[in-house]
Amino acid sequence: MPPRKTVRTASWYTVALLISSVMVLPILWMLTIALKGHAAVFQVPPRLLPDEFHFENFIDGPKAIHFPRLLLNSLVITGLSVVGGVMTSMMAGYALARLRFPGRRLWFYVFVGSMMLPPVVGIIPLFQLFKDIGWYDTWLPLIVPAWLGGNPLFIFLARQYFLSVPYSIDEAAKVDGAGHVRIFFSVMLPITRPAWITMAILAFQLSWNDYLNPLIYLYSSEKWPLSVGMASFVSQFAGQTPDWNLYMAANLLYMLPPLAVFFVAQRYFIQGLSALGTVNQR
Amino acid sequence: MKRTLHAAGALLVAGGLLATSACGGSSGKEAGGKTTVTVMTWESNATNQLIDKALAGFSDPGITVKRIDTPNGNYGDKLASLTQAKKLPDLFWCGNDTELQYTGQGLLTDWSEKLSGSGSGSADFTTGSFVPTAMKNWKTADGKIGGVPSLMNTYGIWYNIDAFKAAGISVPAAGWTWDEMYAAADKLHKKGAKYGLVADAMTGLDAPFSLSLYSLSAGGAPFADSVNQPTKVTADATYTEGVGKLVAGIKSGAVAPPGYDISNQQSLFAAGQIPMLWSGQWLAAGFLTDKPKIKYGFAPLPQVGKAATLYDAVGICTPSYTQNADATFKVLKYLDSTVWTKVLPDSPVAVPAYTAAQDAYFDALGKAGLTTVASTVKADLDAPLTMGVRFTTQWASQSNDLITAYWPDILQGKKPLSDLQTMTDKINDVIKSNG
Amino acid sequence: MTATPDPRLRPRDKLTSDTRAAYAFMAPALIGFTVFVVYPLIRSAYFALTRYNGLTAPVFVGLGNFRRMFTTDPSFWPSVRATLLLVVLYVPLSLAIGLALAVFCNRRMRGVRVLRTLVYLPVVLPVVATITLWKFVFNPQVGLANQVLTWLHLPTSEWLSGEGSAMPSIVIVMLWSVGSTMIIFLAALQAVPTELYEAARIDGAGPRTMFFRITLPLISPIMVLQVVLQLVTALQTFNQPKILSPDGLGGPGFSTRVLMLSIYNNGFPTLGRVADFGYASAQVWVLFLVIVVVIAATARFSSVWTYSDHVS
Repeated sequence: MPPRKTVRTASWYTVALLISSVMVLPILWMLTIALKGHAAVFQVPPRLLPDEFHFENFIDGPKAIHFPRLLLNSLVITGLSVVGGVMTSMMAGYALARLRFPGRRLWFYVFVGSMMLPPVVGIIPLFQLFKDIGWYDTWLPLIVPAWLGGNPLFIFLARQYFLSVPYSIDEAAKVDGAGHVRIFFSVMLPITRPAWITMAILAFQLSWNDYLNPLIYLYSSEKWPLSVGMASFVSQFAGQTPDWNLYMAANLLYMLPPLAVFFVAQRYFIQGLSALGTVNQR
Repeated sequence: MKRTLHAAGALLVAGGLLATSACGGSSGKEAGGKTTVTVMTWESNATNQLIDKALAGFSDPGITVKRIDTPNGNYGDKLASLTQAKKLPDLFWCGNDTELQYTGQGLLTDWSEKLSGSGSGSADFTTGSFVPTAMKNWKTADGKIGGVPSLMNTYGIWYNIDAFKAAGISVPAAGWTWDEMYAAADKLHKKGAKYGLVADAMTGLDAPFSLSLYSLSAGGAPFADSVNQPTKVTADATYTEGVGKLVAGIKSGAVAPPGYDISNQQSLFAAGQIPMLWSGQWLAAGFLTDKPKIKYGFAPLPQVGKAATLYDAVGICTPSYTQNADATFKVLKYLDSTVWTKVLPDSPVAVPAYTAAQDAYFDALGKAGLTTVASTVKADLDAPLTMGVRFTTQWASQSNDLITAYWPDILQGKKPLSDLQTMTDKINDVIKSNG
Repeated sequence: MTATPDPRLRPRDKLTSDTRAAYAFMAPALIGFTVFVVYPLIRSAYFALTRYNGLTAPVFVGLGNFRRMFTTDPSFWPSVRATLLLVVLYVPLSLAIGLALAVFCNRRMRGVRVLRTLVYLPVVLPVVATITLWKFVFNPQVGLANQVLTWLHLPTSEWLSGEGSAMPSIVIVMLWSVGSTMIIFLAALQAVPTELYEAARIDGAGPRTMFFRITLPLISPIMVLQVVLQLVTALQTFNQPKILSPDGLGGPGFSTRVLMLSIYNNGFPTLGRVADFGYASAQVWVLFLVIVVVIAATARFSSVWTYSDHVS
């Protein structure tokens, strides 16, 4: 390789290494803390490698916050939210993109406009509403909004992706005598796979990470998802210092499911996001 | 792909069933005529287990006691939610301010009748069975009381004996002065500690009250004439002098400034990083389980003339919609009188407000060798001058915002000491506008 | 494409059946819109004019809440300042760094996929997990941040405990998740046809010219979208200040008490203080109006900035 190109390649790799370490170092450090003993966490100056390896933290930490129960809660809440969110958004997007009916432009703008409504406006009225209908301390306030097209961004994504599918496919299916439902499930969904997989990943992350809503609606600790359970581990009360080593061990386990989901679905994710990036087709 | 979809579908249906089961759930009457009384605490895991064991000794054929598990982080958020949902447990740990505010809004059961000893109450669990200041401060202006004091928090200075010896200063003891404290902090800081004294009570939201101790002890006026029904706040000459000394301490780096993160202060003290820590006697229980490496002691707060201390009693409250008030009162009595005697020996968190139960606490301290803690707590209970620890009124958040707006800046020298008067004027406006 | 219309489906019938199907498909979203958009808007506007603690009936106070907010409340203007500081620090930096990383990762180098994954990694991790991790990293006594600074012989900082450094620390935590911005920019960059670059290179253009004259204009629609999304999200930041501030209230002082946190503190106060839903709702509306103004302004100016090759 010509010398100038070598220098350029080398400098690229150096910068890449620097960036990687910035992104990864805090997680490695978390691993170190997770392996330390209780007193060693507060040694000054902090040691990078622990003196003794306390692997039992990985058992004690999760146990202290009833990890398995919280994990199950998170999985159920997130699973149901994802299915509902993706399904209803795809349905709405299909209607807006594929069906000719009066007012489809208007409704599209209305849905996109509601994207601009900050969730903060809804906190207090919705809290009162859910309280009045008796859904307080249940998972329903966390799941039902997803089933009612709760995230207009997904509707936007769905419609954009649907627009890029040629109409000839619809026509062909209609000639075969298919009704809208058949077209939707058997024809459109398979074609738009990158779109709804992307939505599923985004919905998964949104729900798995949601902290404010479970904090407001759930007070029974056995109903908490992991996000609230983990945060309550480190709030200080009555002068008690949190057990950082146990916490970091539990934290590492908490991070595994979203990581797994991401690695499995990476390819579709990039493809699906490109729907946001491309110029509109008509 | 199809098989995974089927599996996922099955899982989701199972999840859906779980979700429906997670809806609902309540306390109250069980089948068979037994009443369940629910209890919620903010204690640590260790203490909670001791409480459970002690509660097992409660024998009453018609009553089952159930403790609701609460991870003690976010207790405040949880309490707010439960209040909104009108699902507060029958007995829940509450601060003095919560009790007064809630009683004022009619949210709590009024125990004043039962506590008078006549009729449905019991003779050994009346207003007279408690420490007088505690009981007085728990009653509202019209004599109602929505909860019962349980434990009294006393405040003092935890000190690291080893650090004091290394710096060549004598350890704090009852009767020591503010000047001595600041001088010690300075020497300890110069000897290498990041801060000689960490005192969030003097830099945080409760700070104006803590500094009242200086003016009270010097014969001046306290910050607020009452914490429960204040009519005005003042910062007189002795008060300003006390604040000035604190400002100097922070400026020299001997005292931790406002904003210092106290979430780890207990562990840092135990690891020897903080030579003097202004905190409460409850740390003693924690120190018994994680034994610190250092030799430590607990001294009363410093004084100018007479001994002055902060008063702060926490307690147990009951919502107005409790299912069975009599049953609840029985469990309440058991909790406040008997349970503590069983819990404190292993976990001496605080001194009970119920005088008959106090010996259990002091004996436990004596057995653990925490003589300085016992003598300081006793001294605090006997202190002639006391001051509440914070406002307990409905508008407290507004005055807290004013404190946040002025106090840290004054302490760090960004605003002059004279701004103390501006702050008190504005707080007086808030008091006036809230009747 | 059929040449003759199918006698079974006359145009008018087709329209009605399409319309019915459309509303059937959109039904859940429509219900959601009414319940979760229209209802909160109206109800919170009502609450904003009352004093309401959630337990007893609301008391109408007219504009009293707004008067208190703008004149006597000592925490409102500092909240506004904290929110603006966060937005001004976070949004430009996240866009710039996101774009820079996207350009950097838009190469065919070996290992670039690993790099992309690593950069995106913090986004995948649960927010609460990473925020609490950073809280410990920034601990002035035992945290990694000060340790690294000491190794490099640089002065240490108070991070989240210092009034001047608290908000920048929070912004750093938020910037660690810049991977999500990067991914979107990356997708946009890859949609730019490479022939344009080839043609430019033949004409003798350097990398700087290519970036400013080709890349930026072609990704400008995405850029505008990103600006709006980032601004709106930044204005509603809640998790970070709530978990990272030492007292959970936006300390030290008011330095991290952004509007969302202030709203939460008034609506759901801790330790059994009585809630003030009315005042919180008034604050919600102020924030909402700010967001609307921001979006409108961006939309206004976006036609100036964006390049589009189609008429929509």
